[in-house]
Amino acid sequence: MAPVSVSPEEARRRKIVGVNAETVTHVSSTDFPGHYPGEDHAWSLEKFAKDFTVQFHQNSPYESTFSLFPLDASIANAFRRILIAEIPTLAIEYVFIHNNTSIIQDEVLAARLGLVPLTGRLEGLNWMQFYKRPVSDEHDASGGGETERDTAADNNTVVLKLQKECSWAPGQPKEGETDPNVLYINSNVYAKDIEFIPTGRQFKEFPSPDGLIRPVNPDILLAKMRPGQTIDLEMHCVKGIGADHAKFSPVATASYRLLPTIDILKPIVGQEARKFARCFPKGVIGLEQEGEEGEVRAVVRDTMRDTVSRECLRHEEFKDKVKLGRVRDHFIFGVESTGQFESDLLFLESVKILKMKCVRLKRSLANVTR
Amino acid sequence: MPSVLANEDQAMDDAPQSGENLAESGGDSFIDLNDQRIRVLPGANDTAASFEFEAEDHTLGNALRYMIMKNPQVELCGYSIPHPSEAKMNIRIQTYEGTTVYDVLEKGFDDLMGLCDVVTEKFTGARDDFNARQKP
Amino acid sequence: MSREAYAPPTLQPQGSNYGAASAELAGPTTQYLCGSCNSKVQLKKGDPIRCKDCGHRVLYKERTKRMVQFEAR
Repeated sequence: MAPVSVSPEEARRRKIVGVNAETVTHVSSTDFPGHYPGEDHAWSLEKFAKDFTVQFHQNSPYESTFSLFPLDASIANAFRRILIAEIPTLAIEYVFIHNNTSIIQDEVLAARLGLVPLTGRLEGLNWMQFYKRPVSDEHDASGGGETERDTAADNNTVVLKLQKECSWAPGQPKEGETDPNVLYINSNVYAKDIEFIPTGRQFKEFPSPDGLIRPVNPDILLAKMRPGQTIDLEMHCVKGIGADHAKFSPVATASYRLLPTIDILKPIVGQEARKFARCFPKGVIGLEQEGEEGEVRAVVRDTMRDTVSRECLRHEEFKDKVKLGRVRDHFIFGVESTGQFESDLLFLESVKILKMKCVRLKRSLANVTR
Repeated sequence: MPSVLANEDQAMDDAPQSGENLAESGGDSFIDLNDQRIRVLPGANDTAASFEFEAEDHTLGNALRYMIMKNPQVELCGYSIPHPSEAKMNIRIQTYEGTTVYDVLEKGFDDLMGLCDVVTEKFTGARDDFNARQKP
Repeated sequence: MSREAYAPPTLQPQGSNYGAASAELAGPTTQYLCGSCNSKVQLKKGDPIRCKDCGHRVLYKERTKRMVQFEAR
């Protein structure tokens, strides 16, 4: 039996999630074999490869937005979850405090240091291996690194140092001077004061000056001090994943939203059209002149900019003239990197990790006793 | 909380370069990703079985469930995480006659891997186009 | 240490000249930092708790020189 074909209107109707004033409708995907009698919804890689589209909206190093469609929520969500929790990054893990007489307590200072995003040469960061601990680590980068377990080496640990002592500024301060930056030297400890101590191959992998392991943002305030106080500590950075601790997450945010739809069912004209346009963010609704001296009419310009606030549904006059919705299989991703990797690379990495999961588990499945 | 602080009366050596006395001795909980991580739960036959995946969660569970449900030979597929404090994910597969749950699961992996390749390819292409258009 | 073995600290012999009474008591000195002028103050057992430079009566013990290790979590 030849599969029943679906009209474009019907196909579009099926993938719209309805957004009403208080409720949502048609939330679940229906593109499964057997859902619609006689239709073919079996997975086809050829069909997916033909239809699947990526549209970039923005691609700066640390912030990317792009659309993926058509794609199921389960797949989009897998990419998002991997971006947040499973891409390995380098972060400070152990802090060895030799001296800390500042008012910020040792453990608080250590926790603060851990959250500082680091960066360095990309190839070097990829060369770094996991520092294996006896406790569970989600990722195993090397596979054959059994001999390195528990031994800090140049390819699994980066050593950083922070030494700072506050003192009085030389000379007699002006009478009534209260500015700490004038009165004292080193009264603020910043992320830029963290010093990278390379060992072994790290000299080659993280060359000076651009490849050095360093904080992404040099102006993060770590502690404040007063004359006589000192901070002297050493830090060991290791690779980890966001599932273990948020400091290892490579993204500030990685999120998606569905493309909004606005269908104007009956014409909205004149003053009403102007009011209607004001119910949406700028640029979503446009006004068009009807004929030479006709009235203006509201038209949908750019639904991408809509926030689906449903403001228009609060006004009695628009209730029956507009239908709001979202496209269930159109995902607008926003990926903001913390700076260790560029955001477009992060998304590619998330796809790679999902594939690696399948490769490993398929191998595991072959050994399952049937 | 200091994880290492020697007794008051003892001299202390330099900091250990290794983490030997840092991590809890939780050797049992270590999950190597190359270990055997799939298990068939009791009560399985060729057309209906539950698989237990160690160290997997909703990330793979829901994606794999979708890919398997796209297979017309599958009668039912669902996944669950029986308990949040156990890093385990179960997938239930029931198929029609003429195939086995093992073939269906394997096809699920293959389809998901094929999808990943397409996404990578299209994403790279779209990004390079976009970057080229931004330049001039 | 059992409860019985614990000897609570006893007050110094009474007297208004408590600064001089401790001179003959030899013992290890401990270094403190003045809470007001930050100068170093060496105190022995029985010494008056007072900065030798400014007379401030709040003294702080110096931080341990021992390295302390933390997990950055």
